[in-house]
Amino acid sequence: MKFYVCIKQVPDVNAPLQIKDGQLVQDADRSILNAYDASAVEEALVLKETHGAEVEVVLAGPEKAKETIRKALAMGADKGTHILTDENSNHDSFTYANILAAFFKDKEYDFISCGKQSQDTDSGLTGSMLAQLLNLPYVTNAVALSYEDGKLRIKRQGDVGQEIIDLPSPGLITCSNDMNDPRIPSLKGIMQSKRKPVDTISADDLDSENDLSPKTKILGYEEKPGREPGQKFDGEPDEVAKKVAQLLDSEENLI
Amino acid sequence: MSTLLTYISVKDGKIKRSSLEVLSRCVELAGEHGHDAAAIVIDSDASSYTDQLMNYGAGTIYTIEDPIFKNHLNTPLIRALSLAMEKIEPSVLAMASTEGSKDILGALAANQDAASLADMSEFELTENGVKGKRPVMAAKIIAKVEAEEYPVILTVRAGSYDVNEVEGDTSVESIDFSFSDDELQTTLKEILSASGDKIDLSEAEAVVSAGRGVKDEEARNMVSELASLLNAGIGASRALTEAGDYDPSLQIGQTGKVVAPQLYIAIGISGAIQHVAGMANSKVIVAINKDPDAPIFDIADYGIVGDLYKVLPPFIEEIKKLKN
Repeated sequence: MKFYVCIKQVPDVNAPLQIKDGQLVQDADRSILNAYDASAVEEALVLKETHGAEVEVVLAGPEKAKETIRKALAMGADKGTHILTDENSNHDSFTYANILAAFFKDKEYDFISCGKQSQDTDSGLTGSMLAQLLNLPYVTNAVALSYEDGKLRIKRQGDVGQEIIDLPSPGLITCSNDMNDPRIPSLKGIMQSKRKPVDTISADDLDSENDLSPKTKILGYEEKPGREPGQKFDGEPDEVAKKVAQLLDSEENLI
Repeated sequence: MSTLLTYISVKDGKIKRSSLEVLSRCVELAGEHGHDAAAIVIDSDASSYTDQLMNYGAGTIYTIEDPIFKNHLNTPLIRALSLAMEKIEPSVLAMASTEGSKDILGALAANQDAASLADMSEFELTENGVKGKRPVMAAKIIAKVEAEEYPVILTVRAGSYDVNEVEGDTSVESIDFSFSDDELQTTLKEILSASGDKIDLSEAEAVVSAGRGVKDEEARNMVSELASLLNAGIGASRALTEAGDYDPSLQIGQTGKVVAPQLYIAIGISGAIQHVAGMANSKVIVAINKDPDAPIFDIADYGIVGDLYKVLPPFIEEIKKLKN
């Protein structure tokens, strides 16, 4: 089984960040493997261990994102491809999906997976766009999966409950971080990752059928309008509980 | 003159309020800019919803009815919406942000060569496109975004706009649709629904939400009692859905559902940014937590510092009294 996992390097949302002149400014050293993609890598590795598979990671991003490919290789992926993009590019999901689609055009695979969204933008567009561009059946927001008779049996979180869906090969899945706890690379894994092959190609050299110019752009950033902390009650539980219940009734008319 | 089309999510005879919020916003924008506002219902029983939908200002209500839409499946839904877009040629297709619309937004945009904007908290029209705002970085920051050219497909976070009833003439038009099961490559085997008869969390006027401090059955029972007293949906933090104490469909936060009820009661929830991302737009937030430094108190309108096992019983008693 050939399994491709598309991964992305993202800024760590837990790191301090500021807005300067409408732009996000963050400590440059805090870039990480997108947590949802890490779950996709982990799940592919579990399939590899139970059914045998070759797991290749693909990342579209600037030079510095190479460390994120190494992270996935250290977890246990077999090889990587780095599709090099310009550091200051204004790519949106549509551009990335088209870059990836151009990469996969002449590839053979059983399944492609990726995170259901990236931690920094939470858009969740690239996965299903890529499926559409490659004309693949797909399942998003997977929380569990197993492999049976050439198909993936996927549990996805839907609006009303969990849906069990069979996805034939070739197909695409997007993974929730509720799927698993991604492994921490071992020292041995880190050592081995240094000898694993990483192909580097330029996004400009890919033969895309579509115009790669973005369809959306970010005009700038602003602080989220803050919520003022309200009243805090610290006292006898009986008294404060009653007091707040009464306020919800008299002040807010919510009871 | 063009059309702003709103996709209306329906389930079990009910229209989702979040869809009406989006429709109300589109009706308002259509009025300001001299466009038409239209709505589309795609369901196995689509025509049964048109009466309910009459009062919200859509000039035309389109329906696509086919048994295939009984359960959510992405392939036929993308096909139906593509067909509708080719027929109606809307400049904007707007949808409430749900697991269903998230599942198809990217694929539909690629299919229609349209721009897509996900999970918007505000949007307005520009000369030839849409601009607006959406939360990013775990909802700590607002990004101002723009799609310069029509068509634009967007999803809108629940609670971003109010629902307005509007008088006016509405016509209903059914769009022919056929779908053969052979075209379906994926197979839906089963739906595991744990929240079948309970209140829909993303639609509830009040939400009672349990976090790590809710440690045992005694506490869970109090959460349930409070929720039923307030006719509230029950939510949970990721820690409790992962532990299996609550169904995964009840998870509120960056990974789970985004809610914006009138009243949100956070019980034993510390307020990690990933959780806050899913509930910070609630109108009134009440927090009960024994840690006075818990970040949830920074956003709570009413914070009670105390042990939930001691606070909840008198809180529930007092609400019972006030109800009578």
